[in-house]
Order: sequence, then structure tokens, then C-alpha cells
Amino acid sequence: MAAADTRAVVLRTHPYSESTVIARLLTEDFGVRSVIAKGARRPKSRFGALLEPFTDGRIQVRFRDDRDLHTLAGFDVGRSRQGIGRSLRAFAGASLLAEILLRTGTEDPHPDLYAAVITCYDALTDGSEPDAVALGGIWSTLSVLGFAPRTDQCIRCGRDIDPGEETGFDPAGGGVACATCRPRGRRLDGVFRRELDALCGSGGRIEALDDPRLHRELLRAHLIAQVDQDRPFRSLDLFLDSPA
Amino acid sequence: MSAIDDLTAELARLPGVGRKTALRLTYHLIKAPAEHAERLARAVIAVRERVHPCEVCGNLTEDDPCAICRSERRDRTLVCVVEDAADVGAVERTGEYRGLYHVLGGRLAPLDGIGPDELNVLPLLDRVKEGDVAEVVIATNPSVEGEATAVYLQKLLRPLGVTTTRIGRGLPVGGDLEYADGVTIAEALHNRRRLE
Ligand SMILES: [Zn+2]
Ligand SMILES: [Zn+2]
Repeated sequence: MAAADTRAVVLRTHPYSESTVIARLLTEDFGVRSVIAKGARRPKSRFGALLEPFTDGRIQVRFRDDRDLHTLAGFDVGRSRQGIGRSLRAFAGASLLAEILLRTGTEDPHPDLYAAVITCYDALTDGSEPDAVALGGIWSTLSVLGFAPRTDQCIRCGRDIDPGEETGFDPAGGGVACATCRPRGRRLDGVFRRELDALCGSGGRIEALDDPRLHRELLRAHLIAQVDQDRPFRSLDLFLDSPA
Repeated sequence: MSAIDDLTAELARLPGVGRKTALRLTYHLIKAPAEHAERLARAVIAVRERVHPCEVCGNLTEDDPCAICRSERRDRTLVCVVEDAADVGAVERTGEYRGLYHVLGGRLAPLDGIGPDELNVLPLLDRVKEGDVAEVVIATNPSVEGEATAVYLQKLLRPLGVTTTRIGRGLPVGGDLEYADGVTIAEALHNRRRLE
């Protein structure tokens, strides 16, 4: 059977045997897939020893209809993202994004999703503002996947929110709630909401944030309420607590 | 399940051993003199009973502390941090390194559930606080996870006033220390750089 050719980014790898690696990839044309890479752990592997998280490139893959594990026939590295390892915040953010993709991914082609992820990983590799860049990458990916929070109207009563007014946040409802509907909880001012909107539409390119800690906590609440389905994200702790 | 199936299944669980090889090994053990099989069985049990992580450095040993930690001839001001005990062997084989070791027991890998708390880090900080250590050489793998682990360690070590270095060029990017040849590791040790 002929090998299919597509762009892909490595989300996770684990050793399968002494020489073989199983990699989970986000592909541009076939969504999230698992592939087996024979010989990938040998020092002179044809996969160039770069089959590791966040590296992207062109892959050739032989799909097997009867199973979920396909065979990686070739991998031409586009960009290695070793640089992500030089910042803990960048590394934790990139890992959390990978985990979200593995959790929500389907096998459908999704060029917009692929583009959002590559933009984020590129920006994290380039190294400036890893806090804002990681949050931007994750929020814009969630938006592409249909998990964006509602910020223009109250999630409870539907009333339009004034740009300047203080609101609460309702994680279970998936958006902001006006002072009348949700007087308790953390307060979000207009600046914070504008930053959140910018993060959701940023594709990972954004200026420094006013209160990155509050942004990380809000993302955490949103992920737990909207995405994790009672299986906690393993990267979340490092993302919340890693020293800058 | 027959005894043959049983042993074959156990052997096939070993890394690098497929079903066919496992069956071949099983038949070999059946045909070989009985004491061969008994020696193998005793050796497997002994290795599990006697070998454990060194209480000081985490290297695998039968004695506590291990031979490297006890040696008078090692440079006690130098500690090389590696991911796994197998990496100690890889660095030792170069014959170029005369300091001590510290085995982390892995690297930061959030998706595998390995965070800072899962690594053997606090004993390393205690060793440095005791005061003899002048330099910590971080020899985690040259992978994105190994790099992040190095950055994490450096953040913890810097306030303790110890020089922190990272092994340098020579290792293939994305590679694994355990599989690198001695010359390459020696070169990487020689080219270690100071972490700022
Ligand atoms: Zn309302
Ligand atoms: Zn020891």
C-alpha cells in the first residue's frame, strides 16, 4: 500500500521496545494519529533521532484499516523545537497544548487547527513572553476546536456586557456572568476580558499580560469544566506552578 | 498454560525480544544442561534481591553507599546529574569523568505524569547544601524534555551558590545518552557550558 504524505507535529512519544517508538502526531490531513516508528531509538535512525515532542515535518505514513496504530515510513524534519525546553513555562505550555490535542483530537483533516498549533510552537521556540504565548496558543486552539469562552454576553441572562464593567466567570456555563447573575467569585475587569479575547484570536502572538497568574487560573477552571471530562490534565500542575 | 508457553510469554516481555526469539530461548534452555537454567534463574532472583538504588546518589548498587560514592579517588567537588542509572554506566565507560553522580530517575515529562515531585531532586539539593560540591554537571539527555529538566534543576541550584554546567556539543540532538558512544559523551563532557 502506498504511503500517504502530510505535514505533522509530534505531540508525544513513548518507547515501545529497545529500538521502536510509538509517536502520537497531529497531522494536517488526518487529524490525531498514532504511528509506530521502527528503529527510531537507534543512534543512526532514518528518523534522525528527532522524533520527539513538538518537532514538526513531513511524514510518510502507511495506514492500516484494521487497527489504530499505523506505520511511519518516513519523517523529514521541518523544525526541531529544542528551544521550548529552555523555558519551563514554554515547555509546560507546549505540553498542556499537546495534551489538549490528544484529548480532543479526531481523525478529520483540520488545517486551521494545525496552523494554530504550529504558530504557537514556533512562538514558544522563539522564546519571548512564554507565559502569554502559551496561553495564546492554548486559547486560540480551544477556539478553533469550539471551546472558546463567551465574553460579550452574560452566560446566564444573555445581557450584553459593557466593555468597562466588572464581571464574574462561570466555568460550567463556559463564559462570563454579569454582576447581577453571579456576584461571587473572581472579578474580571474590562482589561482582562480584552486580553482574553485577544488570546483566543491570537494564534499565539500576543504582548505581555497584566496578570498572567489569573489568566492561568481561569484557563484551568475552564479546562476542568469544559474539556477534561473527569480525567485531570497531567500537564496542568507544571503549567500553573513552574517557575518563570 | 503450559510451562513452555509460560516461559516464552515472560521472555517475550523483555525489551528487544519478540515472540520468535522468546520461543528459541525457551527451547535452548530446555535442551541445555539443567544447571544452566538453574544458574539463570538464581541470577535473576539475586539481581532483584541484592540490587537497589544507592542511598546517596541513586545509582544501582549492591552496597550502600555505592562503590563510586565510597571511592577515595573520586573528585567529591563534582557531581554529574543523569536521568537513569544506565547513564552512569555510559559516562563511566568514557573513563574521562572522575567525579560523583546523582541519578534523577527520569526527566520532566508532564504527559507521562512525571513532574518535579516524581524526580529524585531534593536529595541532590541536600548534597549540595552539605557544602563539598563546587560544580554540578547536568547530563540529562539532549532532548526537549532533558533540556527542560536541566533548566528546572538550574533554577533550584542557582540560589545555593554552586556552579552549574550543562554537557555540551557532540551529542546528537534528540538523542539518548545511553546509546551514545564513549568518545561522543567524553567530548560532550569536555565541552560543558556554564548555565547562567
Ligand atoms: Zn446576567
Ligand atoms: Zn552512590
